[in-house]
Amino acid sequence: MKTIKFLPLLAFFIGFTSCSSDDDTIIALPVESELIQNLHAPQEGGQGEPVYGEFAKFNFATGQTTTSETDWDIALRGTIILINGGEKTGIDDEPNRTGNGSAYIANGTLSSVTSVDTSRLREDAVNAQAIPTGSGTGWYIYAGAPTHLITPIAGKILVFKTHDGKYAKMEVLSYYKDAPANPDAYEDLDKYYTFNYVYQPNEGDTTF
Amino acid sequence: MLKRVPHIILLFFVTFGYAQKKVKDSTKVENLEEVLITATRTERQLSSLPLPAQIVSKKEIEAVNSVRLSDILNEQTGLTTVSDFGGGEGIQMQGLDSQYTLILIDGVPLVGRSAGTLDLSRISVGNIKQIEIVKGASSSLYGSEALGGVINIITDTPKHGFNGNVNYRYGTYNTHDASASIAYKKEAFSIDGFFNRFSTSGYDLLEGDFLNTVEPFSNYTFNLKSTYDFSDNTHLLVSGRYFTQNQEYVASEELSGESKIKEWNAHVKLTHKYSEKWSSYFEFYATRYKADEFLNDSEELLFSEGDFNQLLIRPEIRATYNPTKKTSFIGGLGWNHETLERTDFSTKPEFNSPYIYLQYDGNPTEKINIILGARFDAHNEYKSQFSPKGAIRYEINDKISVKGSVGYGFKAPDFRQLYFDFTNSTVGYTVLGYNQVTTSIPELIEEGQILNVVVPITEFEDELRPENSVSFNVGSVYQPISELKFELNIFRNNIQDLIDTRVIANKTNGQNVFSFYNINKVYTQGLEFNGTWKINNYLKFSGGYQLLFARDKDAEDAFKNGDVYARLTPSSPSFQLKKDDYFGLYNRSRHMANTKVFYTIEKWNLNTNLRATYRSKYGLFDTNANGYLDDYDEFVNGYAILDWAVNKIVFKNYNLGIGVDNFLDFTDTQNITSIPGRLFYVKLNIQF
Repeated sequence: MKTIKFLPLLAFFIGFTSCSSDDDTIIALPVESELIQNLHAPQEGGQGEPVYGEFAKFNFATGQTTTSETDWDIALRGTIILINGGEKTGIDDEPNRTGNGSAYIANGTLSSVTSVDTSRLREDAVNAQAIPTGSGTGWYIYAGAPTHLITPIAGKILVFKTHDGKYAKMEVLSYYKDAPANPDAYEDLDKYYTFNYVYQPNEGDTTF
Repeated sequence: MLKRVPHIILLFFVTFGYAQKKVKDSTKVENLEEVLITATRTERQLSSLPLPAQIVSKKEIEAVNSVRLSDILNEQTGLTTVSDFGGGEGIQMQGLDSQYTLILIDGVPLVGRSAGTLDLSRISVGNIKQIEIVKGASSSLYGSEALGGVINIITDTPKHGFNGNVNYRYGTYNTHDASASIAYKKEAFSIDGFFNRFSTSGYDLLEGDFLNTVEPFSNYTFNLKSTYDFSDNTHLLVSGRYFTQNQEYVASEELSGESKIKEWNAHVKLTHKYSEKWSSYFEFYATRYKADEFLNDSEELLFSEGDFNQLLIRPEIRATYNPTKKTSFIGGLGWNHETLERTDFSTKPEFNSPYIYLQYDGNPTEKINIILGARFDAHNEYKSQFSPKGAIRYEINDKISVKGSVGYGFKAPDFRQLYFDFTNSTVGYTVLGYNQVTTSIPELIEEGQILNVVVPITEFEDELRPENSVSFNVGSVYQPISELKFELNIFRNNIQDLIDTRVIANKTNGQNVFSFYNINKVYTQGLEFNGTWKINNYLKFSGGYQLLFARDKDAEDAFKNGDVYARLTPSSPSFQLKKDDYFGLYNRSRHMANTKVFYTIEKWNLNTNLRATYRSKYGLFDTNANGYLDDYDEFVNGYAILDWAVNKIVFKNYNLGIGVDNFLDFTDTQNITSIPGRLFYVKLNIQF
């Protein structure tokens, strides 16, 4: 997995205008924009058989995958995306939820989603993932025969509250290794996520 | 034909007397009035009809050497054949899909739409007198399926004496079409037999896989029709048709088998005329369509099989009352009984649907013709339907007339949409018919297959509504001189309650359960223009054009609200689309056009024609995964097909033909499976 840091953005001063005195300056951390390439999220089974296998866990603050039982924000396996918040949904081999994470899917471009609508945030629950799996119901469309391609739906931005209460937004770009411009489900390896995300490291800040 | 309808002749002289007189001293132009039955269920002169309608004559079918119905319909303005995933070729009319056009033979419907499309290539045109096409919703007379319109195939009626013909055509890809017909008519009795065999070795557009685009197949059509006149007032018609087709069925390198179709139709009609004003019809129709297929693996062990067996029985009585020569009332009472046995159905469903209809057709004044009609269809499985229709034609003068019609059309949910119970064995998703949900979902939950129910099953307790539409047609016919004719029709179809699939539950294997539901509001609108110029008896030009906008209203709103996004490549970031970026429904071309030239060289007993059909670009898939067809999707490029045919009569009764279909050799191997490229053929027809 490669991490490319680019375009570090200057953060806005939340509450700056509401501050009556100017001797009390808040030093905000810059918002982080990252591109993650080829995050591998393999699964076992499938093709009509039960799906199982360990999830690949990812932490937005570090921009790295992790094997930690607690310090993860999202967990990926095949097309399934779980969050570190709520309870187990009931599928095989899913990690225990230890954090305060939640999520929803916003319509927009990565730059047009500028704030978190906290009323829409949902935790994982029994039989209900905050980010649903299934063609057309979550972040991707499965084309079926003959191409069998998994394509991220344009305009679906995944908005997360991380396990420790920060916010992040993410746009999946590709499900295939090296994000080919025109993927071929027969030639290209799948379950390799390429995505852009923006992480807001400041506690309680719901803007990006 | 004309003998039986004296009032039509009268009308003909009233309407066209002026034009006839004028023509007399110039080049003599034959202008036989065309009569059709589909629009009103009574014989009506085409030119006086308040509805958009069209006739394709036997003469045209023979001149272009068509052998299957799909060939000839594809050349008509505003019609294009579209393939479904099962390979069947249906017709798209006024932008409505093939499942919304009713196909009749001699006024009774064909069945066997296993995936929604009725495959028109299974119908031989060898014994057709004419094809009648009526556009716009016509459920007021015909009930279900007549949303877009009706296509009625009228078979030949025997001439006096003993006669017949044999016809043979051989073309590229080893395509043989052989037919023979024998007819006999004496006094009160007539009998007409027709036989056709069609076979082809198929073709392959994409080399390198183990599949052909079209696998070899052969089919046979048998037709026997007999009439008997008990008296001048009582006529009996008995007609039977049998069709059988065998095709190789290849699914992969290892899996191969065969698919078979068997279809029969039986039609009995007794007509009695009580007086000048009253007559009645007793009609009994039954048809069965049976399709079986199987696949064996490389060790010849059965891998999979499927079957489809549909039966329709329909008795109908009909009465007409003609208080005056120009006024008719027609009323009918009938019963549809339909059953289907099919693989992946848990039950053997049965449809019962009694129906009644009434129609008034009259001329309150010399220049105005009005048609008012309505039909009521009761049904045991879905909401009963009331289908009204009204049409008016006003003759401004003998050169120009205007007409308009409004009608309601519906299509009953098919058996699949109600009773399907199918789980894909390799991928693992499930499709349930609407009526199947309330029993199957609890079963799946019990078996532990359901992770999450997305749509509560209480939503499936109401009946599924039939897809329905209101259609509007406004047009004008302008005939400045008898050799020249222009027709314009503007149409709009507002379609509601379209049946679509959605995910109703998530399965534990990561797949979903789908079912059917009413959702979309769709409209199609546009205009159709036709022009013919018959310079003399030897040279005729015709041209047609259709402009079409076919759109989903919810999609329009989504674009307007800025809810739709796209990517330039599948792996690039999204951007927002604008209202104008919405293209419309799949498989619809904005422009379709055709032009034809027919030329006869009398001294050589030869006729030849050149035809071109064009359809502009269209989209088949949402290639950028936003759920809509937009300007950033990949489109199938527009294309033109040019055909040329020549026929020569030798020794009076022998007709020799040669021709090239698609002589520019257009193919689109990626997107269009129904166009195999350039096709040469020779034809011999012998009359006796």
